[in-house]
Amino acid sequence: MKFHWFAEVTYGDLPADFPQRHDSSWVDIPASLADPRIVGQHYRMFIRLMQQADREGFDGLAVNEHHQTSFAMTPSPNLLAASVASSTENAAILVIGDSLALYNPPTRVAEELAYLDCLSDGRLIAGFVFGTPMDSTFSYGIPPVELRDRFHEARDLILRAWSEPEPFAFNGRWTKLRYVNLWPRPVQARPPIWIPGSGSVETWDLVTDEDYCYGHLSFSGLRSAKPIVDGYWSHVEARGGDLNPHRMAFTQICCVADSDAEAERLYTDAVRYFYTHNPQATRFLTPPGYTSTASARAQQARGTAGISAQDRRRAASGELSFWEYDELGYIVAGTPERVRQRLADLATELRVGQLIACLHMGDLAEEVAAMNTHLFGTGVIPYLRDLWADQPDHWTPITSQQRVAAAAAATNGAKDQLPAGAPALGG
Amino acid sequence: MAIEIHELGEARIRVWAAGEGPPLVYLHGMEQHPGDAPFLQRLARHHHVFAPELPGYGASTGFEGIDDILDLVLFERRLIESLGAGIVDVVGHDLGGMVAAELAALCPWLVRKVVLVDAYGLWTDEAPPADPYTFTADALRAAKWHDPATAPDPEPNIDPPDPADPAAAMLTRAQNLAISTKFLWPIPDRGLRKRLSLITAPTLVVHGASDGLIPLAHARALAALVPGAELTVIVDAGHLPMIEQVDAFIDVVEGFLAL
Repeated sequence: MKFHWFAEVTYGDLPADFPQRHDSSWVDIPASLADPRIVGQHYRMFIRLMQQADREGFDGLAVNEHHQTSFAMTPSPNLLAASVASSTENAAILVIGDSLALYNPPTRVAEELAYLDCLSDGRLIAGFVFGTPMDSTFSYGIPPVELRDRFHEARDLILRAWSEPEPFAFNGRWTKLRYVNLWPRPVQARPPIWIPGSGSVETWDLVTDEDYCYGHLSFSGLRSAKPIVDGYWSHVEARGGDLNPHRMAFTQICCVADSDAEAERLYTDAVRYFYTHNPQATRFLTPPGYTSTASARAQQARGTAGISAQDRRRAASGELSFWEYDELGYIVAGTPERVRQRLADLATELRVGQLIACLHMGDLAEEVAAMNTHLFGTGVIPYLRDLWADQPDHWTPITSQQRVAAAAAATNGAKDQLPAGAPALGG
Repeated sequence: MAIEIHELGEARIRVWAAGEGPPLVYLHGMEQHPGDAPFLQRLARHHHVFAPELPGYGASTGFEGIDDILDLVLFERRLIESLGAGIVDVVGHDLGGMVAAELAALCPWLVRKVVLVDAYGLWTDEAPPADPYTFTADALRAAKWHDPATAPDPEPNIDPPDPADPAAAMLTRAQNLAISTKFLWPIPDRGLRKRLSLITAPTLVVHGASDGLIPLAHARALAALVPGAELTVIVDAGHLPMIEQVDAFIDVVEGFLAL
């Protein structure tokens, strides 16, 4: 089982009445709401937290791409990844991911990811994403009906650019290049590839056929994800794909503290900020063509099992109590013992081998996020490390696997350093 | 009247056809082919009307081979030529109006007269068209009709709602609108402005006075850019004057085509 440190780089200083005054934190949110100096402080904070996570034994440091939103101010994930890659030693650099359809030409992605792999000495994980409707179709103006074709052509170009030994010509539908000859090339012959999705069957087919790692990156937790993730694994099995849990990544907000009461005291406001200060307006959520007819049919058949519409509304309006957020799965909170048991249940139930733990959320103070990172690194990760140990992990870089393991061995000496009562976990 | 399947290479296109007389091609807008709409039947009293479905819409195929507006224009050119009707009058609404203007500019031998009804194709910063993709159903209804209360519900549609499969109408609509994004998203300007001066066919621009999607200034600019074009504004009509004021629409269009 692998653990990747992640946070949405959320603007943490929006006014308290923001949710009442604005129906969208995306696309057309007034830029005047953010102070660029505070944005800079946020960036430096997230870099410090990821450097700490590298020292605390995390397997990866995750960054993502969003546009025109206070929710995640990382228009180029490669920039944040570069800051982190040059100042960390062990963890994988998990770019999850670059929105392939938005780069022109897409060799830009091949170049920058190769740069990151060189800079990190072979620790890159290459995530390729379609982007949300708000990102790719509204902020960047790609006609929804073209998004998937553009993505697939870009993916083809990037993979060839990494691997072809000689310069080649690429006459695509969207990109035409007479001379493709990538400098630099990645350290890894082909970096591991992850593709997150939101339930589209076309994406399921792609990751299954290409043996990529799939990611279900929502912030709604186990119950909401269960129908989709179960559907995914059934699809993989029916298609004869690899059922290795290390091919499945899942995001989970975690709030660790020395006691459950302390967790409630420290994290309630930030959790509420995270869920209430990210309104997504309907007008930007469902552009025609973003979801294929086949996937729309599948989604309708799947229904909205998991969490009721009423609970979703209460979560987004901040009406849930801290422990209701926890019970519904939006967050996993409490002592390290409680958190690791719940994560073990989650990972087993969803067959997840790559947990992307969100350890900063909303307007959380840096010292609390640092404590969260420390408690997670020392009180959760070592106990769950061996979950799925019987299955090989081909979806994280060899270099980061070796370095993280060596650092863990040096820190802990041996497993018997762990406190008594570590749960026995089986695959 | 009949709906026939026309094969065009690999593509299969539904063509609504009716009437006798001089040939008239009607090109529908971004939402759907209007099927047996009264205004098409009225046009068929004096014309042999061909109303092809755009590729990718409804049950029509051929969208895979289309990269841009030029490909669509060439597709419609081949389709019209395959009708064997010779030179035709072209009436286009909304997205179909944009295509009709392109056809008249690029294939002048094929177009006798052209009518552009609440057509897309231009952009001005002063009076931009609305972004219809962000509208709720209620807002779209309010923008489209002069009087939403008397607008037909359901609208004329070649694929009427199927009680046995209520999801189908929604999915077909999403599919249709997805195709339209190829030509209208994010800004409905694919360079038509540069080509309008090439139009030699007599041109009538028709616009509903209450169109809440495309401002009247857009129709004025369109008429000003086509040599000799006329503009007729239909009162008490929104974005679909051929449905909301069918008598006035038929009078104006037939009057223009008969000249």
